[in-house]
Amino acid sequence: MTAQVETGSSPQAPEPEEESLAARLQRFVGRPSRPPVSAADPVNQPMVRHWCEAIGDGNPVYTDPQAAGASRHRGLVAPPTMLQVWNMPGLRPVPPLPGEDQLGELIGILDQAGYTAIVATNCEQEYARYLRPGDLLSATSMIEAISEEKRTALGSGYFINLHETYTDQRGEVVGTMMLRVLKFRPNERAESSPPAAPPRRPRPVVNDDNRFFWEGVGRGELLIQRCTGCARLRHPPRPMCPHCRSLEWDTRRSGGRGTVYSYVIPHHPPVPPFTYPHVVGLIELVEGTRLVSNVIDIDPAEVRIGMPVEVCFITVDDELVLPQFRPTVGNRER
Amino acid sequence: MSTAARPSPRFEEVHLGDTLPELAMEITPTLIVSAALASRDFQDVHHDATLARQHGMPDIFMNILATNGFVGRFITDWAGPEAQIRKISVRLGAPNFPGDTMRMTGTVTATELQGGEGVIDVDVRGRNRLGDHVVASVSVSLPAGG
Amino acid sequence: MRDRTAIAGIGATEFSKDSRRTELRLAIEAVSAALDDAGLDPAEVDGMVTYTMDGNDEIEIAGSIGIGDLTFFSRVHHGGGAACATVGQAAMAVVTGAAQVVVCYRALNGRSWSRFGSGVQQRATAPTAEMVHFGWYAPFGLLTPAQWVAMFARRYMHEYGASSEDFGRVTVADRRHAATNPAAWFYQRPITLEDHQSSRMIADPLRLLDCCQESDGAVALVVTSAERARDLRQRPALIRAAAQGAGGDQEVMTSYYRNDIGGLEEMGVIARALWPAAGLGPADIQTAVLYDHFTPFVLSQLEELGFCGRGEASGFVRDGNLEMGGRLPSNTHGGQLGEAYIHGMNGISEAVRQVRGTAINQVDGVENVLVTAGTGVPTSALVLSRA
Repeated sequence: MTAQVETGSSPQAPEPEEESLAARLQRFVGRPSRPPVSAADPVNQPMVRHWCEAIGDGNPVYTDPQAAGASRHRGLVAPPTMLQVWNMPGLRPVPPLPGEDQLGELIGILDQAGYTAIVATNCEQEYARYLRPGDLLSATSMIEAISEEKRTALGSGYFINLHETYTDQRGEVVGTMMLRVLKFRPNERAESSPPAAPPRRPRPVVNDDNRFFWEGVGRGELLIQRCTGCARLRHPPRPMCPHCRSLEWDTRRSGGRGTVYSYVIPHHPPVPPFTYPHVVGLIELVEGTRLVSNVIDIDPAEVRIGMPVEVCFITVDDELVLPQFRPTVGNRER
Repeated sequence: MSTAARPSPRFEEVHLGDTLPELAMEITPTLIVSAALASRDFQDVHHDATLARQHGMPDIFMNILATNGFVGRFITDWAGPEAQIRKISVRLGAPNFPGDTMRMTGTVTATELQGGEGVIDVDVRGRNRLGDHVVASVSVSLPAGG
Repeated sequence: MRDRTAIAGIGATEFSKDSRRTELRLAIEAVSAALDDAGLDPAEVDGMVTYTMDGNDEIEIAGSIGIGDLTFFSRVHHGGGAACATVGQAAMAVVTGAAQVVVCYRALNGRSWSRFGSGVQQRATAPTAEMVHFGWYAPFGLLTPAQWVAMFARRYMHEYGASSEDFGRVTVADRRHAATNPAAWFYQRPITLEDHQSSRMIADPLRLLDCCQESDGAVALVVTSAERARDLRQRPALIRAAAQGAGGDQEVMTSYYRNDIGGLEEMGVIARALWPAAGLGPADIQTAVLYDHFTPFVLSQLEELGFCGRGEASGFVRDGNLEMGGRLPSNTHGGQLGEAYIHGMNGISEAVRQVRGTAINQVDGVENVLVTAGTGVPTSALVLSRA
């Protein structure tokens, strides 16, 4: 292909001076998005092993010649989802010649028109057969379709469908891929504020009056504050015993058993990262104090006041462990 | 992290509405970076947090090839070595950032005998704290009969 | 203090979901209207009271309206629990001579600025006792007022066999009153019990129609001596009695650690103070404004204040006693479920109108009106009487 052809203008039909963006975009449909590429390396065991380690894929037909030979595949095969891997341009891709990078030109036009952001929305792969070590792949890519301008949650933009065809050393098609990307003008809000980090559960608020509780939870212990003056237990913790006004206290480790004294099933508003509905329970411990926690491992509709529960501890993230309660297992023997 | 091999179920044992064993995957920087490099995807947003932030993202995030890989693994963890994946169609949603957990669930939506092959359609969903990371439909076949 | 002071003027903005002006502007409009209603010049005001939660400083309003020197200013804590206490503290200031004319006010864009019911997950986490308090609940996803109240509601249902329908009848009554009140957000929009039952769950067992609105608006009241009030433009609403109350093991919205959480201990404290101070009892009250941010606590209030026995409020409400013509027509303006959520201040205005005889849904032969403030928190109440 020549650069002349790539501009897409025909001498018989001179371009109007102000061609609409939509019309300019549509001229890219049906063109190769880039020149055909051939894989640098054939399908090979080291790359397959590397992939399986990274993905945590233990399927033996990818890495264990014996198991693979005994299977329907009658020998080692590559994970089908590696289809695209073999023709990836790598860390230092060869820059395309002018006019060859049609996708790049298309993207450039959209960038200039203010559709500066891009995101992949769909990927569809079909596998005619599983690849085997030694297969050498080539890939061709075509700009299959460009949508009209669409309004999306991210912003207004154009969907571009790219179609890749993969052929083997004999020229037979081994697989195809459709990749849909959205090239869009980010919503003002999205542009000014980058996406937030994944929301975390609200933290407990820790100070000298309650630190023991949360440190205990971190060790998997449910502690109750105990007045050393009159031995009464109290929760939530406070600096002074309301009964004997002692400022001295220690803790007692709870056995972790109790009953549901009351409960709530929040539905709205949804606050990430919580999933709804869930159960917030007011738990009355056998020791007599109450605390708020979650009741888990049960359908919310099955929770009842008076239901026996026992504590467990969940690690929410690298900073937070929380006590949770689940229905007491009646018979703990197997 | 990886799942031990288990034998494939017989096609006749697979029924509409069956659910696949859930897979909870902790999304660590190591997972994201190693999967990106194993797929030869060297885009900086998949391995360099500083550059990812310059692109307006809060952190590095998982690449699409890896997402495809995890969907494939989720299927064959259940369908075993006799499985042959025919088609994977994924819709991409919330990014997978480090510190999150993606929970993958799957349900059998169709089973059909085609010649000696039992073709099974499975709907797969991978959710993280932000919502659906991936919603996929997968077509996979197992030898039938015998 | 009985009958020595009075509410001499009331003022308010419209109630909406988007006031399109600042809270300060709303406050100024309401205070200005209340002074006009009383027939007082701003320069005569020497005291101001509001909520700690209010975002508008006394001095900002004073400076804007032309109020001169202030010799008394005070703020009351605990959200809507402050409502009647602003009037109670104003009355104390007048009786002690700390001030002659005191304005009480509350202004909020409770819908258009920050939504009142959206939860505390974003609050700062300096480890003050107040923040530690939320820290016992937020990590477990107990974040919003509706959720905090739902914990009591579930226990109340368990102990007394109350049902969601019993809560729903409170809303139905309020909305019936709002339907004839042009100032109400839900003017001409009554609901049925079926509407309540089919509304979506917000914090099970609370449904959407158990929860009051979030509103934009402001209300102001002018308190002065009864003697002075008699010379002013309106018939005075005498402040027969005022009380504040916090109970044992009191928390803000989460008093879950008391032996009994099927009641509202702080409202019991109020009852024990208010009735003797007023020299009256429940039988002497012709109409009431019962704080109704969430329906279940309306039932508890009827019990704690002695209008019916413990656990009997469901029956009391089922018999239509909260509606016009019932034993205790309540929230005749529509309440916060029907008129607007101005943190209880709009209910005090309604009580004043009932005493004046100018309410839209006027109850016959009103001598004494009960008004209560925020429930689930340290709270307050008033008895207003006809002069």
